[in-house]
Formats: sequence, structure tokens, C-alpha cells
Amino acid sequence: MSQGAPLLTLSAIDKSFDIHRVLEGVSFDLAKGEVHALLGENGAGKSTLMNILIGVYSADAGSLTLEGLPLIIGKPSDSARHGIGMVHQHFRLVDRLTPTENLLLAADDHPHLKTRTAARNALLATAREVGFTLNPDCPVGELSVAEKQRAEICKVLALGARILILDEPTAVLTDAEASSMLGAIRRMAESGRSIILITHKLREVVGFSHRVTIMRRGKTVAAGLDTTQLSIEKIASLMMGSSASSVAPSSTPDTTTSSLQPRGPDLLAIAHLHAQRDDGAPALTDVSLRVRAGEILGLAGVGGNGQHELVETLNGIRSASAGSVMIDGADALEFPPNQRRQLGLRVIPADRMATALASDLTIAANLSLTAVVRGRFGRFWLNRRRMEREAKASIEQHDIAGARPHGRMGLLSGGNAQKVLLAREIDSGMKLLLAHSPTRGLDIRASAAVHQRLREAVAQGAACLLVSEDVEEIMALSDRICVISAGKITGELPGDASAADIGRLILGHE
Amino acid sequence: MEQFITHWLGSTPAFAIPLALASMGLVLCERAGVLNMGAEGYMSLGAMTAAVLTLTLGNPAIGILCAVLAGATLALVFGFAVVVMRCEQILAGLATMAVGLGIAGVVGRSYVHKSFEGLQPLDLPWLDQLPLVGQLLFHQDILVYLTVLIGFALWFLLEHTRAGLKIRAVGEDPASADVAGVQVQVQQLLAITASGALCGLAGAYLSVASSSIWVDNMVAGRGWIALALVVFARWEPLKALAGAFLFGAIEALLPRLQAIGIPAPIYLMNMLPYLFTIAVLLVAACSGSKKGMEPAALGQPYVRQDRH
Amino acid sequence: MSNFRLTLERRQQVSTLRSAATYILGLLVGLGCGVLVLLAAGAPASTLMDDLVVQVFFSARGLAQTLTLAVPLIMVGLAALAAMRLRFWNVGIEGQLWLGAIGATLVANNDFGSEALRLPIMLIASALAGAIWIAVPLLLKLKANVNELVVTLLLSNVAYLLLQHLLFGAWKDPVNSFPVSPRFDDNEQLASLGFGNLHSGIYLALAITLLMAVLVQKSRTGFYIDVIGHNRRTALATGIPVTATLTLMILLSGALAGLAGGLIVTGVEHRLTQTIGINTTFSGIVIAFVARFNPLAILPTAIALAGIYNAGSTLKVFYGIPDAIVVLIQGIVLLTLLMVQFFRSYRVSLLRRTPPQTARQIT
Repeated sequence: MSQGAPLLTLSAIDKSFDIHRVLEGVSFDLAKGEVHALLGENGAGKSTLMNILIGVYSADAGSLTLEGLPLIIGKPSDSARHGIGMVHQHFRLVDRLTPTENLLLAADDHPHLKTRTAARNALLATAREVGFTLNPDCPVGELSVAEKQRAEICKVLALGARILILDEPTAVLTDAEASSMLGAIRRMAESGRSIILITHKLREVVGFSHRVTIMRRGKTVAAGLDTTQLSIEKIASLMMGSSASSVAPSSTPDTTTSSLQPRGPDLLAIAHLHAQRDDGAPALTDVSLRVRAGEILGLAGVGGNGQHELVETLNGIRSASAGSVMIDGADALEFPPNQRRQLGLRVIPADRMATALASDLTIAANLSLTAVVRGRFGRFWLNRRRMEREAKASIEQHDIAGARPHGRMGLLSGGNAQKVLLAREIDSGMKLLLAHSPTRGLDIRASAAVHQRLREAVAQGAACLLVSEDVEEIMALSDRICVISAGKITGELPGDASAADIGRLILGHE
Repeated sequence: MEQFITHWLGSTPAFAIPLALASMGLVLCERAGVLNMGAEGYMSLGAMTAAVLTLTLGNPAIGILCAVLAGATLALVFGFAVVVMRCEQILAGLATMAVGLGIAGVVGRSYVHKSFEGLQPLDLPWLDQLPLVGQLLFHQDILVYLTVLIGFALWFLLEHTRAGLKIRAVGEDPASADVAGVQVQVQQLLAITASGALCGLAGAYLSVASSSIWVDNMVAGRGWIALALVVFARWEPLKALAGAFLFGAIEALLPRLQAIGIPAPIYLMNMLPYLFTIAVLLVAACSGSKKGMEPAALGQPYVRQDRH
Repeated sequence: MSNFRLTLERRQQVSTLRSAATYILGLLVGLGCGVLVLLAAGAPASTLMDDLVVQVFFSARGLAQTLTLAVPLIMVGLAALAAMRLRFWNVGIEGQLWLGAIGATLVANNDFGSEALRLPIMLIASALAGAIWIAVPLLLKLKANVNELVVTLLLSNVAYLLLQHLLFGAWKDPVNSFPVSPRFDDNEQLASLGFGNLHSGIYLALAITLLMAVLVQKSRTGFYIDVIGHNRRTALATGIPVTATLTLMILLSGALAGLAGGLIVTGVEHRLTQTIGINTTFSGIVIAFVARFNPLAILPTAIALAGIYNAGSTLKVFYGIPDAIVVLIQGIVLLTLLMVQFFRSYRVSLLRRTPPQTARQIT
């Protein structure tokens, strides 16, 4: 790794989206031939920073240099011309085109790639060089996730990238696939390319990167530290800030006290459940779970392993192909969402703005949405005054900052929007709470508040199924832990299981 | 019987060509992800422009050329609205449709019902006397041959060139296309303009080639049929061409049946293409997840700066 | 290469003032363009105010005609509103209107029901016929997820062919050379109010508008419509009866369009003709859009558009300006209103490509 002038620098970058400030004076530099890890929690600003580097967004202020010269990037093709390529978490491949066609599409500035044969050959040559196997002639939509990722990396390299940005490349891979990918990343760096590795898997940082930059809430908190000088604990504390102790993987007092309480009956019993993805592929295979009153069952796993489909199936908006779902002793499989709610089911989905709230309606409307369905504000005519009165009381009770009953839902921050959803869902009729990544996109304070509400809910006798990709969250809250992988439940652990045990189950499958 | 079929097939292009040109234009536009409801308007404008200029200048070629330009210009207005100003595509399309119909009606008012010498068929001696297909293949005007050529050219463009690859990518996944360096807005504007030009040509065919006159409401809903034909053809230009000939053949059959005195409920029979299209839609929807070549991003405006 | 670039961002927060200002600006620009088009088409500037405003709204004869024209426009405006509030593209309003007219005429031709009840039965039949006509695309949408846009459009054409089939065939008035049905009996006609051609259908239109306003703004169904229209997935996941609400409102949309047809044949034409309802799909959508999907605002919008149609026929008689000008003006107004929304929804900013001080440091 060279210690000379950096290959690439980004200095004092600012970026706001409308009223939200996302990046504030962020700096970053990259040397030739290094793997530089870029770390940070969800929403820390990593993706925005990289999108500025590749020209998807433009910075409000700040400057970029490449090999000491000012770098002007106005659109994605500018960055490609300078040899900067990004492999997004959501691959930027057109599904109906083949990998060859996807390369051909991007070949505007590469005269030697402008024929189908040349593009195909370049793709295959690149694949050979980094040690991938690749089918260049199959529509991308029909490839597996790992194959798509390889296709994307080969495409970006074939376009001449010497700086490669990888956005959480292992998040969607199995253990074996991830190891081979990380090996390939090392090989690419050894051949003189520079890699920016966005991740939040600390082990990958320590094992595979040369240097690390850490971002928190839109700012750089550590820039270009030498990885060999760092421990996982040190990195974690930098990432999480002052509250790092709360994420330490130890059981909190709450879980120990709740585990002493007597357990009630099964409020949720899933047996041999099968369901399909939108594209018809199996999403859930023979899933069986039980959640009793007064406990939180944590369902851990890497995202995209059937969690989304499980939550939708339980909610009643996706039909199961086989199996049974009992809510509070009643067979609910054929029930629409409304009848399941009558049995006491409440849902906090991962994508709250898309599937639980309506951002263009008022906060009062969102708070009273399910009560209106129950007929609380009238069967034919709505008593809107009462609706607003109760919304106002609820806003005060739950301390939802910046909320007025008449205000638009979409203007609330993620944390306050989640408070609205929790205020609505955790009501007197709740028996079973289904929470999917309830703290995704929230800051630490808001996350702690959400965790507190979940604990209170089960303390009052409800059952909670917590589906989360965040192992620390699972460990902090769960009385029992199940692991889902490739649509199957791969094991059950007690609530005080170690991260290593859970990790083995999450990654052990394939 | 042989003569009946010969004449029936021979008169089919007159009905098929406007549908073919317009629907192929719309195929191109929709493959770029833009739902274009303006076809009826572009066609009216094209028909009027071609007729008025042929009447005043006496030269159908200039008339047709200007009709193409007029259609393209109006489509560019639509393109500006949806691509640059990000207007809702269906509403903006309906609005441009109205503008086209309106201009055609207002400007063309003093040229209504004046017949003129339009485009003449190319008579290929001897060949046009062939049984059955002689009239169909060898007694047509140049636009008929051009239409078939355009169909194959469009197919080649979309399936076998980088330009076509870009258009398809924009219609499927504009964000990925953008990252790949494709100028999404430019591609969409080009496709929209081309669709307007083809619709203008379709209109010109109606007034200058098949009827040699301009009357109010000459297009009479053919723009909407073309729109349905795009779905019928599953967004493929050659299937659109074939579909247009199928629809044209049904339409052409009715006056032939009347001419030889067979009583036929013509209005009911004219419903067949519409009902057939609905059936095709239903079959396509029921036949599973593969929805033919329907562009995945059809009708959705693309804004790069949107936060995901 | 320029040192500046334009960027575009969707505004996350739009003030009421900005919404109102852009809307009014769009309307003024659109109507201004409309006036320019009229002048260009040969309408004399000196009498334009008189022709466009005074004659159609402030003279007894003109106002009567304007209100008569407004009755079906109010109905189709409400029909478009009912569907568009749920993001259902009913672009077959004309078809439902024609079916409604056919339904009413069917009752009249066959003398269904007693003479006293004939007229209500005709109107109910027209609403039913419209609802049945839209039930097909609704069913295809709900059961097979077929795009309603194309199906409503196609069925419109089918409806017109059916209308022609009847008027040139079984229903043709033998004593008339035009393709029209026989004239309705007196008890099959809506009462004239003695004010031009204005008929009692206007009361029905007013009452239905009020009912629609109450339904949309005060009822539980109205709340459901809001949620479904803004976020269908949320509506499904929270147990809102999406299918039932959709079915109710879309059938209502078809019924209102059908009733518009019924009101035209019973109130004005007194027979079935093939010239009714042309362009009403577009007009209905324009009215609903200009009224910003507010039922009460449909009334003034529809009356204003009726005034333009009315002025259009005056201009045609006196200056030979064709009817198409009214379609043109509607198109221009809709297009400008759509375009100004850009300034409501997006923030455009001009950015420098490079901060100049950085460039100096390097060189």
C-alpha cells in the first residue's frame, strides 16, 4: 500500500435533501491498491457520500480531487470516465437485459466495447481475471443474487474502473459466497485497484481492509485509521458514539426479569407455513413458530431470506400456499387483515411509510386509521372532531415532537413517524405484535424508545414476534431467538445466546 | 370468390397502414417508458396538415413531410411536459390529444370537404394482376411499402442496436440506465418525438393517400385503437404491424361484404377488434407473471435527485 | 462547458400558499392562452368579453343555455372525480354515457313500468346501464389485474358502435331521415323549467353534487377513499375494505356517467341521437382536475366550462369558428395546469460545478 499522495480525496462535503441535512463537512481519502472500509450505521450518510462521488447526487459544497487534480463530476458517466465504479446494494442492472447487454449499454465512452462480441469477451476476460464464473447471455432477472453481483462487478471492472465502491457486498450472500467475494476483493486490490468497502460487518473490516473511515449522523468521526491498530470494540464505540455500551452484546436487565415471568398461552402458532415470492419462487418453506403471551421471540437472519414474505403472510396481504396460522387460538390463515386485527394482531412493518402509514394524509388520520375501520368514530359519518381530539391527546401522551393533528404525516422524521405507528398499533386490543425491523433508519435515542415500548407491551401480557436483521437488537430484546435462512427456520436459541452462536446459524445454512 | 379475396386483400392496407404507423410509433414511445395518450391528436394534426398543404401546394410529398413535422412538434410539447416538467403522463397525453384535435379542427375548417389529387398507387405492370395477392402486394402507394420497411427498421433498432438497447433500458429501469451513462431524458424525448412523427405520417396517410380529402373527425378514434394495439402486440413492433393488418383486414371486409350484397351487422362486426383486444389482455394477465415485453417503468416519471 | 448545472429535487414540504399560487397562475396562463387562441382564430377582440362572459352568464337566454349544458358536465365531472380519487383511470366516460342514454331509451321504447313512474325508471335504467358498462373493466381489474385504462377506452368504442347499430337499425325513427330514435312521449321527458331549455335535471345534478360532497368529505367511505387513493398498500395492510370501496365508487362513477346520458336524452334531446356526449370523457377529466377533485368545486367548474361551450356555439354561428376551439382551450388549460405543478412539487436550483477556490489551490 503506497503512503504517497492519496489517489482520491473528498473534502468538506455538504449535502441536504430539501429540509434534511444528510452530510456535513465529510472528508475521505483513498490510496492506490488499498481496501478502505467505510463504516457507519444505517442512515449515517455512507451511501449518500458515495452517490456524490459517482455523480448520482451533486454535493451542495465541498471538493473532490483525483491524483491531485480537481475532479468535476456532474453525472454518473463523468465518474465512469475517471475510472470510478460503484456496485450498489441494489444492483444497477436492467433485469430484462443480459450481462453482456448491460455492459454494452454502459459502453458510450468505450469504443472498443461497442459491439456485442467485444462486450461479451471483455466481460468473460474480466471474470477470468478476478476468478468468477459468469453466464453473460442469461437475462439478469433470472440470475441468483450472487450471480448478479458478480455480473455487476465484472461490468464495472470491464468499463475500466480502478476505484471500485462496493456497497455492503456480503449483506445478501451466504457465508461461503461471502468468503469467496472477500477473497476476490483482496485480489482486486493486489492487482492495483483501490476498493471502498461499505459495510457494517465489523469482522470484515478487521479481516479484509487496510484502513477504515467511520461516519456517524452525516459526519466523519474517524478518517483513514490504520485497521491493524484497531480492535472490534474500538471500532464499535466509534460507530455508535457515546452510547456504545448499550449495544454491547449482553443481556439487559429487562430480558432477565421478563424471563422470570410465567409464560402464557401461545398467542401465535405457525405450523408448516409455505409461501411464495412475487416472482413465484418459494419464499417460506415449512416455517413453524410459536410465540407465547409475555415473551418476545426474535427472528434473526440476513435480509431477503423470507422475512418480508413472512410478515406479509402473517399480516394477511400475501396468501400462503400451505400450512396454518393460529392467532390467539383461532385459525386465521383465511382471514383478511381486518379479521386478524380483530383477533388482536398488530403490525409494525419494516417499510412503515409504504405499508402502514399514508404520508400525504394528516397525522390525525394516520393515528385513527385502524380505529376508523373498527367503527370507533361512527359507522357512516365520521366524527372528525373527536378524531382530532383523540389524536391530540395521543400526540401529547406519546411525546411525538413536531406533530399537530392537522399536520402532514410525511413531514415527521423517521423516529416520530414510528412513534405515531406505535401509538396506533399498541392499543388495548393488542394481543400479538409483529414488529419487523422497528428501528430501521432511526437514531439511537428513537431506537431506545421503540425498544422500551416493545418491552412494556410484552410486560402487559402481549406476545411479540420481532423480525430483525440487526443481531444486536435481537439479542437485546428477545426471550427466545429463532433464525431464518433461505425461507427456513434453521434453529432456535435461548434469549441469552451469544452473537457468535446466532451468527453461526445465520451464516451456516446453504 | 377469388376476385372477392383479391379486392379484399387489396383494400386492407388502406385500413391497416394508419393503425400500423401509429401503433409502431407508440410501441417505440412505450418501450422508452412513456405512456402516450396523444396519438389521436397527432394523427388529426397530421391528417389536416397534409391535406391543407396538398390542397394549397398541389404536392402530396410536401404535405406528408409537413404532417410528419407537425406530429413530431406536437409530440415534443408532450415530451416537454412529461420528461422535463414531469407531468402525469396520462393527463398530459390527453391534454395534447385535445390540443391536436383542436388545432386540426380550427385550422382545417376552411378546407373541409375539398377533394384533391392525393398519393397514387405505384402500378407494377403485370405483377398486380397476380391472383389473390397481386393487388395487396403490387398495387399500393409508396407509403404502404415504407410502413413495412419502418416496421422492420424499428424491430432492428430495438433488438439489434445500441440505440435500441438504450431505449429499452430507459423503459425498463431508468435509474440503472442513468447509472450506465444513458441520458434518460434525451432517449425519452427522442422516442416521443419519433412516435409523434409516425402518428403524423399515419394521419397524412388517411387524408392524402386513402381518401384524398379532409373532413372533420377524420381520425375517428384510430389513435385509441393504435394505443390498444400496442398492448395487443405485447410491445413488439412487428407484432404491431401484423396486428394492424389483422384489424385492417376485419375493417376492410365489411364494405366488401356490403358491396356484394351480403347483409352483415357492420357495427357489431366492427366491435370485434375491440373485443378481441380485451380478450388478449385478459389472456395475457391470466397467463402468469410474464407480461410479455411490457416495459417495467411504463408511465413512471424519472427524477434522478429523488432520495430512495 | 458551463460552470453551472441545474438540479431537481422533489419538495418534501409544500406550503398551502405555494399550492394555491401555482394553481391560480396555471389557470390564468391557461385561460390567457385560450383567449389568444380565440383571437388568432378570428374572434373579434372588441366583442370577446361580451361573447365569452356577458352573453353566456349574464343574459337570461345565455344563462339558461349554459346551465342546460352544465347538467351533464356536472355529472361527468363527478364521474371522473369518483374514479380518479381512487387512482382508477376511467377514460370510458363517453361509453358509459352512451349506455346510459341507450338504457333510458330502451325503457321508453318498450314502455316499461307505469306512465307515472316511467321517467324515474328511465333515469334509474340509465344509471344502471352506465354501472354495468364500467363493471366489466372493474371486474377485469379486480379479478385479473387487467389495466383499466385500455379496457374502459375500448369499451367506449364498443358502446358507440352499439349506439350506431341501434340508430341505423332497430331503433331508427321511420319518419326521420336522420339516424335518431322516435321522439319520447311527454311523460318520458324531464319537466321544462320555463327558462330556455333548462329542465328539472339540474335539481338532480345539484342534489347529487351535495351527496357526493358529503360522501367524500364526511363519511367513513370518504376516509377510506383518501387512504386508498394515497397509499393502497397501507389501506390493504390495515384492513380497510379496499375492494368494497373500489367497487362502490367505480360503479358509482359509471352510474353517474350513465345518468348524464339519461339526463341528456330525457331533458334536452327527447330522443336518442348519435351526437350526444362527444368528448365528455375528456371534459369530465378536465373538470375534475380543475376542481382539484373537490365535489363542490365541480359545480362552478362545470358551469364555467358549459359557458365556454355555449360561447363556442355563438362563435361558430357568427364567426365560423369551429367547435374544436373549445376542445383546444380545454387542452391548453389542462396542459398549463399540469405544467405549473412542476413548480409546486419540485425545487430547481442552479449550482456551481466547482467551488473556484479549490481549483486555484490545485494550480
